Amino acid sequence: MNGTKMQTIAISTIALALFAVPAFAQQRQAPPAGGPPKPFTVPAHESYSLPNGMKVTLVPYGNLPKVTLSLVLRSGNLNEPADLPGLADMVGKLMKEGTTTKSSKQIAEESARMGGAVNINVGVDETDVSTDVLSEFGPRAAALLADVAQHPLFPQSELPRLKNDAQRQLSISKSVPQSIALERFRKILYGDHPYAVVFPTQESIEKSSVAEIKKYYEGNFGAARAQLYVAGRFDAGEMKKLIAASFGGWAKGPAPVVNQPKIKPQHTLDLTDRPGAAQSTLLVGLPVPDPTSPDAISLLVTNALLGGSFGSRITSNIREQKGYTYSPSSQISRRYHDAYWAETADVTTEFTGASLKEIFAEVDRLMKEAPADAELKGIQSYLSGLFVIQNSSRGALISQLRYVDFQGLGEEYLKTYVQKVNAVTPADVQKQTAEHIKPDRMTIVVVGDKAKVAEQLVPFTPASKP
Amino acid sequence: MPLRVRSSIRRIAAMAAVWAMSFQVAHATPPESELKVPVEYYKLPNGLRVVLSTDHTAPTVCVAVYYRIGFRVEPKDRTGFAHLFEHMMFQGSQNLGKMEFIKLVQQNGGILNGSTRFDFTNYFEILPSNKLETALWAEADRMNGLAVTEDNLKNQQGVVGNEVKVNVINRPYGGFPWLDMPQYANTNWYNAHNFYGDLKDIEAATLTDVQRFFKTYYAPNNAALAIVGDFDPVQARQLVEKYFGGIKESQLPAVPDLTEPKQEKEKQASRVDALAKRPAIAIAYHMPERNSPEYYAMGLIDQILIEGDDSLEHQELVQKRGLAAGVNGGINYLGNMFNYKGPMLFMADMRVDAGTTPDAVVKAWDGPIEVLRTKPVDKETLERARVKLRSDLYDNMGNVGGFGLADLLASFALFDDNPARINTLVSEFEKVTPELIQRTAQEFLRPENRTVLVLETKPAEAAKAPEAPAAAAKN
Repeated sequence: MNGTKMQTIAISTIALALFAVPAFAQQRQAPPAGGPPKPFTVPAHESYSLPNGMKVTLVPYGNLPKVTLSLVLRSGNLNEPADLPGLADMVGKLMKEGTTTKSSKQIAEESARMGGAVNINVGVDETDVSTDVLSEFGPRAAALLADVAQHPLFPQSELPRLKNDAQRQLSISKSVPQSIALERFRKILYGDHPYAVVFPTQESIEKSSVAEIKKYYEGNFGAARAQLYVAGRFDAGEMKKLIAASFGGWAKGPAPVVNQPKIKPQHTLDLTDRPGAAQSTLLVGLPVPDPTSPDAISLLVTNALLGGSFGSRITSNIREQKGYTYSPSSQISRRYHDAYWAETADVTTEFTGASLKEIFAEVDRLMKEAPADAELKGIQSYLSGLFVIQNSSRGALISQLRYVDFQGLGEEYLKTYVQKVNAVTPADVQKQTAEHIKPDRMTIVVVGDKAKVAEQLVPFTPASKP
Repeated sequence: MPLRVRSSIRRIAAMAAVWAMSFQVAHATPPESELKVPVEYYKLPNGLRVVLSTDHTAPTVCVAVYYRIGFRVEPKDRTGFAHLFEHMMFQGSQNLGKMEFIKLVQQNGGILNGSTRFDFTNYFEILPSNKLETALWAEADRMNGLAVTEDNLKNQQGVVGNEVKVNVINRPYGGFPWLDMPQYANTNWYNAHNFYGDLKDIEAATLTDVQRFFKTYYAPNNAALAIVGDFDPVQARQLVEKYFGGIKESQLPAVPDLTEPKQEKEKQASRVDALAKRPAIAIAYHMPERNSPEYYAMGLIDQILIEGDDSLEHQELVQKRGLAAGVNGGINYLGNMFNYKGPMLFMADMRVDAGTTPDAVVKAWDGPIEVLRTKPVDKETLERARVKLRSDLYDNMGNVGGFGLADLLASFALFDDNPARINTLVSEFEKVTPELIQRTAQEFLRPENRTVLVLETKPAEAAKAPEAPAAAAKN
């Protein structure tokens, strides 16, 4: 392979002389700036509560004849018994297998006749029962979601099949390097807390029973934990009527459980051997202030500049300069009043150490030196523009509102977001990095070929650090 | 800049029935699910096809440039080149150096991407609508000429090599079946080679190859420009003329013969995936010719058979037999049934237990297929399929910030010279009768027209894996 590379370079150097020169010889034009920006306000929404405490948020939006309904419940892996990780997921799966009056096939056909399907997604903090249908069916879709959420049958007959599917899926997921890395990272950061749960275990799948599923459901579903979001084109009067009629009788149920993890940075290097792997999967990060912190928006800006956008420093470095990787990115991963920063990248095995070195070098550089005004302004414009896109579709609007409601950020959050993003100074970015993204506190997870990477990782093992 | 994989498209779609876009609707509230998309279509003297579609719901605009060069047609000793070239389009043009295109879009509040598909390569950005001129200038700049260096090429060879590793080589089920199946099901090299490319071929590419490819295919008379969103069409026409009007057309080479011979015998193939823990199976049929009555019938057959929990195969394979947790599938794994031109496959795939034989899966799969082939489908099932299809079509149109609509309009401009057909698609599906569904199933869902591809685990893995209790119990 090296031989091929050398040859390529030799042949192409000549080509470079032929083709590249004229472009640099001419006077470059500057891009046109475009017109003055148009005002943007987040589309208005209406929120209210039913007498049983269930919250409803309606967002009339757009001209496309579709409507998205999303029933969000404060119920997820956080609420599982410690010996049954993944039980909440099994609840979601069995919930789709029928209600007291409708079979799973009837539910599937009814939603298909409206142009959609009932989807149930289970996360660590929330369960989302949703559908996306043609506009004229919006109110009927609300009634269908209400039935699925309130009157699940939990049929024993379907459980063995779902368990078998879950075992197959578990085995497959555990062979995916990015999943292995995430599980290691969460385990190191969260220990015994449920946020550490990425996968069920073979045993927990086997132990899930209808009795456990019903017990979980009784303890974690109900109007007091629910909020229904409706966005798109719909008849608001009819929608409200159907929502009141179909959700009004839902028992209040238990209040949400708050179970905050107490996490501390865990400075460690964790290597999972994957013999023969062509790439090393890297996940490098640490806990950062949560979304309610006054630092949250400065941190978002810092992240976008450091690794969270295509033009960011880490991506420019390890992708566009070095070619070590295809899809590096950093993000702030968030749960309820909890967050961590992490850079992820799948890098060529032989450049595993070199990639880590560059990632840390970029963090170090930003810790030591504030970014230039122009670079920060570029990132601020990017986030301001992205905010418009993030509030310009049914699904995206629901995501935004859900996030604000879930974290309890208040109505002002979306109204002042752009202004706050643009108020961040270069000194703030440097300070956020120095205080919250310190390399000497980071957890470094590597999934790769141990025989080839162990040596490269020596400089990054905490013990050998000065 | 991905060579887009179906799963990633689905993930984006799942992200909330996504960033729905909006359009002028024929009727006021209460909403009726019909819509009319505004379409203005014309050509510049240099051959550039231009489509304008306004929507003032949000102050954003999508600019998309589609070149009619996909990965089917790439130099035979340079597999993966069309895609590698796509990466080079971000590496520098006459007025924008490396990283400058990306930063220009980002610093103006936008997002961007590009992708390589069967019959086109696309580049697009979504920006605040006041930045339309900036985007048009930048796209015209790179249509005008590349200014890339040996270093840029070497860098992107590294990036693309890593892309192939992360999506294929280092990933269980990597390339299955989207990259594998065309290589088994098709016989014409243009449809049957490794589109992502052998790493050796990718590394062998030279700057001369890059410039030659650009000169051959990246010309206004081989491209369509779609602008969708919040803009003034009169001003947009002026800007398009100003920036693209002076770009020279080129003499395009003849399109090679892309036709596939009619398949007369069922094909079966298998490959071992050392990283996979459970076997997988894919079944693919050659599609009827695009835009024929049978093509529209296949769009509905796809809905009836494999799209959604109500579909016949989901009910049979998942709910009844427990063979798989889901059936993935559709027409064109790298897009949708509209955005391609050449020969195409209708395909389904699923992951099964170690103890499940391919024969058992194919036998179960054939149940619903035979139902469609032996009698006309009932009215209720057909109507449900039509509603699902229309709903899906709107979701395609609604994809992120106008891009989904731009994709359809640019494809229809390039392949059909008629983007306005976006407004007649629904009526084409309305014309499909139960009898046509049956005839189409008889002709195109014949076993002789299909390829069955099995992904096998390493023998050691298969021996370790447990049998499938639920599936066994149900059979």
